[in-house]
Amino acid sequence: MNMSIKRINAIFQKDFKDFSRNSAVSVTILFPLIMAFIYKNMDTVTLDTYYLLFNMSFAIIATFIQCCLIAEEKEKNTLRGLMLSPASTTEILAGKSLLTFTVTVIALGLTAWIAGYEPTNMFIITAALGLSTLFYIAVGTLLGLLANSVMEASVIVLPVLGIFSFGSFGLAFAEKYPILQALEYLPSSQLIELARKVEEGAALSTVWPQFAVIAIWIAVAIAATIIVYRKRMVD
Amino acid sequence: MENIIEVKDITKVYGNQTAVEGVSFHIKKGEIFGFLGPSGSGKTTMIKMLTGQLKPTSGTANVFGEDLANLKKPSAKKRFGVLTDNSGLYGRLSIHENLKLYCNLYDVPESTIEEVLAAVNLQNEKKKKVSALSKGMTQRVTLARTLLHAPDLLFLDEPTSALDPVNTRHIYDGLRALNAKGTTIFLTTHDMEEADLLCDRVAFLNKGHIQLLDAPDRLKKQHSDQTITVELLTEEKVVLPAGAEGAERLHEWMKTGQIATIHSNEPSLGDIFVQVTGRVLA
Repeated sequence: MNMSIKRINAIFQKDFKDFSRNSAVSVTILFPLIMAFIYKNMDTVTLDTYYLLFNMSFAIIATFIQCCLIAEEKEKNTLRGLMLSPASTTEILAGKSLLTFTVTVIALGLTAWIAGYEPTNMFIITAALGLSTLFYIAVGTLLGLLANSVMEASVIVLPVLGIFSFGSFGLAFAEKYPILQALEYLPSSQLIELARKVEEGAALSTVWPQFAVIAIWIAVAIAATIIVYRKRMVD
Repeated sequence: MENIIEVKDITKVYGNQTAVEGVSFHIKKGEIFGFLGPSGSGKTTMIKMLTGQLKPTSGTANVFGEDLANLKKPSAKKRFGVLTDNSGLYGRLSIHENLKLYCNLYDVPESTIEEVLAAVNLQNEKKKKVSALSKGMTQRVTLARTLLHAPDLLFLDEPTSALDPVNTRHIYDGLRALNAKGTTIFLTTHDMEEADLLCDRVAFLNKGHIQLLDAPDRLKKQHSDQTITVELLTEEKVVLPAGAEGAERLHEWMKTGQIATIHSNEPSLGDIFVQVTGRVLA
């Protein structure tokens, strides 16, 4: 498969200019940072606190912003222009995801810095956060393709944000409601589990099941996104 | 002459609704071909099929000699352009920024932007945000975007709907200039005057079927009632048969200098459409 970096970069640059002039959406990147300041000043900051902030960043930045960017392209009929151009499906989706990926990674870094999170194994945690970012971007893309407008996108994204950001809290009730045990397999729960193991000194060979579960979520989300995109292209 | 588009017995069905049924036609290189019909007659469906956005339910079609499935290749996409009345431009970006994106997508030099903006008379407006433009200017930017990669084939879907006469004229001039350079144009419209002005051949589409296909002039001659209307200096209007009987009376009035105007009574394309389909265009 031939990929044109020039075309991906063209879409990224366009998105960057468009995003920087769209204060209604771009201002959302401040939210996790403000929350990080608030949590930093709490009496006890646990690992769960850091990952609450990270999962919030994923939901609000990676998923919400991506969802809005895609939904706006659809609403304004600009996605059709990209689809009819020589850019391939992969180039369009990569170009459209690059801005959100960059912004999310920067926000995660700033959130960790503000909150004072210093993981024991930076390499594993960076890889896990990077992979999780891909998953949340894929979910945002999928929702954006399903929505018919930015307004609709900002509504349909809410339940998904709830499940993936705060779903891991449901595990506290798993003894009473065994069905909630399934929440253990959410990418957010897996990320927290991975971070816990890393803090206990686990190496990459120990945390591979968490990576595998997150990778499966990514594969499913990307496959669903490509199917919906191709269906939308011929609708 | 080489055919750019060949369509054979193509049908498109959505659920239990047939949008296009058993349609066949071809378009020669360099031709302006009009696909005419009222709203919902299947015009946009045909463009979507011919640009790879929709799969036909049955039948075959070739564009540039390639099957429709091959139109998704970047090399094929570089050879055609699509202009609709829905601009698809980025409102927060300037005209120049919008065109720069497409220069990079189509791999054409940025210097082309100046040329295409000059062609649509917008060279002094390039820093303006698209959201601040009038409908007419926006449509000219969309045309400029289409001109960037100098397509061999241009699909136009109701390109001048909702435009005022001045902007419509700008678009027509741009299209004629493009056609003069060799671009083949596939135009869908319900505006019969537009089709008459621009098209070499037209097809009348009604309820998913082609009901007539020919050059506008030939259609008008074929459906003419073979009469002429003579207006005399007395302001009396007389309809004469175009044969020998009419010639005698005409000769007499000409000798005596009584004629103010003479008009042949061929029908407009709109009249012919109504005659053939029994439907009014809207």
